[in-house]
Amino acid sequence: MKFLYIGIVVVVVVTLRLWMFRARRKRRATEDQVPGATHDRMVKSPLLGSARARIGRAVGEPLGTVGIIAMREITERVRGRILRVGTLLILVVVAAAIVIPTLDSSSGGLTAQTVGIVGPLSPQIEQVVNSAAKQDQDSVRFVREPSITAAKAALRSGRLDFTIADADLVLLNQPATSSSSPADPTLVQDVAEYLGVVRAYEAAGLTRAQAAQVDQAKAVPVHTLQPGTKTKSKAVSIIGLVLLFFMLTQYCTWILIGVMQEKSSRVVEVLLATVRPIQLLGGKVLGIGMVALGQATLVLGFALVLGEAVGSNLLHGAEPVALLAELLWLVLGYAFYCWVYAAAGSTAERQDQVQTLVLPLSIPVLVGYVFSITVASSGKPDLLFKILAYVPLTAPFCMSVLVSLSQVTWWEFVLSVLVSLAATVGMAIFAARIYRRAVLRTGGRVKVRELLAGSAH
Amino acid sequence: MSGLLQLEGLRRAYGPVTALDGLSFEVPAGHVVGFLGPNGAGKTTTMRAIFGLTDLDAGSVRWEGSPVGQAERRRFGYMPEERGLYPGMLVGEQLEYLGRLHGLSAPQAAEATDTWLERLDIADRRGSKVEVLSHGNQQRVQLSGALVHNPELLVLDEPLSGLDPTGIDAIGQVLVDQARAGCCVLFSSHQLDQVEDLCERVVIIDHGRLVTSGTVDDLATSGTRRLVVRVEGDRTAAWAQGLPGVTVSEVNGGAVRLVLDGSVDSDDVLRVAMRAGRVTQYSFERRRLSEVFREALT
Repeated sequence: MKFLYIGIVVVVVVTLRLWMFRARRKRRATEDQVPGATHDRMVKSPLLGSARARIGRAVGEPLGTVGIIAMREITERVRGRILRVGTLLILVVVAAAIVIPTLDSSSGGLTAQTVGIVGPLSPQIEQVVNSAAKQDQDSVRFVREPSITAAKAALRSGRLDFTIADADLVLLNQPATSSSSPADPTLVQDVAEYLGVVRAYEAAGLTRAQAAQVDQAKAVPVHTLQPGTKTKSKAVSIIGLVLLFFMLTQYCTWILIGVMQEKSSRVVEVLLATVRPIQLLGGKVLGIGMVALGQATLVLGFALVLGEAVGSNLLHGAEPVALLAELLWLVLGYAFYCWVYAAAGSTAERQDQVQTLVLPLSIPVLVGYVFSITVASSGKPDLLFKILAYVPLTAPFCMSVLVSLSQVTWWEFVLSVLVSLAATVGMAIFAARIYRRAVLRTGGRVKVRELLAGSAH
Repeated sequence: MSGLLQLEGLRRAYGPVTALDGLSFEVPAGHVVGFLGPNGAGKTTTMRAIFGLTDLDAGSVRWEGSPVGQAERRRFGYMPEERGLYPGMLVGEQLEYLGRLHGLSAPQAAEATDTWLERLDIADRRGSKVEVLSHGNQQRVQLSGALVHNPELLVLDEPLSGLDPTGIDAIGQVLVDQARAGCCVLFSSHQLDQVEDLCERVVIIDHGRLVTSGTVDDLATSGTRRLVVRVEGDRTAAWAQGLPGVTVSEVNGGAVRLVLDGSVDSDDVLRVAMRAGRVTQYSFERRRLSEVFREALT
């Protein structure tokens, strides 16, 4: 069944790409015939126009000027190749992380097991082996071997997957857990355990009826006073952190480059003649933020649907609340860092200046990320890590990990969110001040010290 | 449409450099006003101050008697000296976007965009990216961006620079038409001949201070008189050299252009010329704007 789902996903993606490729080629052909026709159609297309109008009504109008600016950002980003290619790459990586582990045959699926029998095989043991095999999704074929020597030879040649000798020994060529062993390790384990139980019954002198009665015993109910800690999937936490780091860095860099480009193209002077700096900055932050949230939601939804479809156990054990917490911290992290990057972008007007800015800005993000990956792997947060979970610079990573490890109470989580929100407001005010003073200054990178000391241009 | 822009006592210093030093003047509706001054006189700083892009140390910018705020600026149009457009954005979408930022609804912005692209003869570039347009067409798009919302005040910093004669005529005509429709139009330029053709009024500033202002007619006819005299066979105008109160401004193909002090009797000049030969031309001329400009700055 899972192969069917994988096939459907692959077909959908390939079809989509082919359709986009053909549409682009057709458009180019038309453009060659009628110069300028492409853009005219793009602008006048009723379908695109109505869709954009709908989005515009939804986003542009209720928020006034900020909404109009945000709408332009959304349109330009969605139209751009970077977003489409980036999203596709993320989806491919996520799909690979979910699907590849399920392709390992040892983790499930119908496996044919050839079992050698040396000595007598009671119907009871045969029945037990068969039922264990059924439970493990294996089919079993029994082959009688005349002696233990013959059985060993058959195991070495690969004719047998494993052998039951005299109902008290399980013999394998290699350990069942070895990747080159043909034996299903779960089945081998189940058979060995059952044979041990049968020997114990015999040693205890139980009759067959008594043994059957013991076999049918049911566990007594277990009640707990409060919910326990579930086993968390480290993999989910780490993949989430990688995506959080990647997305946070990507979106904030968009802000930085977007602000720099508006400054270098001088369009900012035209815009600020009409709108306030905080409106322009707010619209940009909101627009890119909505694109970011859309992309993150798409990736999360895709991961959940695909994981369910292919029966991946990667997402099992990961509570929805942990995933939602990572999404929330992506939003909060973006809300905080976008202002930092915007202010930095307003001091630059060339690509090389942007590159020198990105490195120092990414240091706190990197610190939070590396710390969090380490703790997510070990599962043991120390005091410093817990403190970092309340620092807005590192909280998006550290608090996400604490949630996935269930090492935080609801009020600690809320406290961290509130600290982050308060810091975001402060940063927004500071960034708007820097932005207003720096964005109209041209002719070289502006130093922050000058901006704090002087007035606007 | 009517309005009056008043700049009162504008002061702005950048460290030791004084950009504006108590500058005051007015721009009335219905006129194209040329804003002149040498490089570094403070023209761009003044224009930016109108839009709040420069913080003033003192002074005020008023529109119809009230201080200019964000609501007023949405009704103004601005074309900065350094052109500002999104290079990768389509021309039509860019203009619609600017229109919407100035308060137009989406359909109004689309309609106004079509109108102005048609008017400036670039309707066929609506779907092109700005970066692929020629300099002249980018200039037209930039002007359309300043006009798309039908502004009450139009402030243009060097709108004619880098344009061919056709472009200058087209943009110049738009400015005149806007003024005729009741808009206040203030534009700066170093091309004084074009300013003379387009403007009814000029404001000349230097070192951040007002030097002179008024209608072009008043400035051209006031002050020193211009006399053009042509003496048959004379190419050097040696006869005019050394006349008291008379300055030779220009000798061009036998015609000598003289600047007369107020005390000089023009009949005396004629008599001297007649002694030099047969006088074939003797006429008074208006001051050119370039002369007004130079004299104002000396």
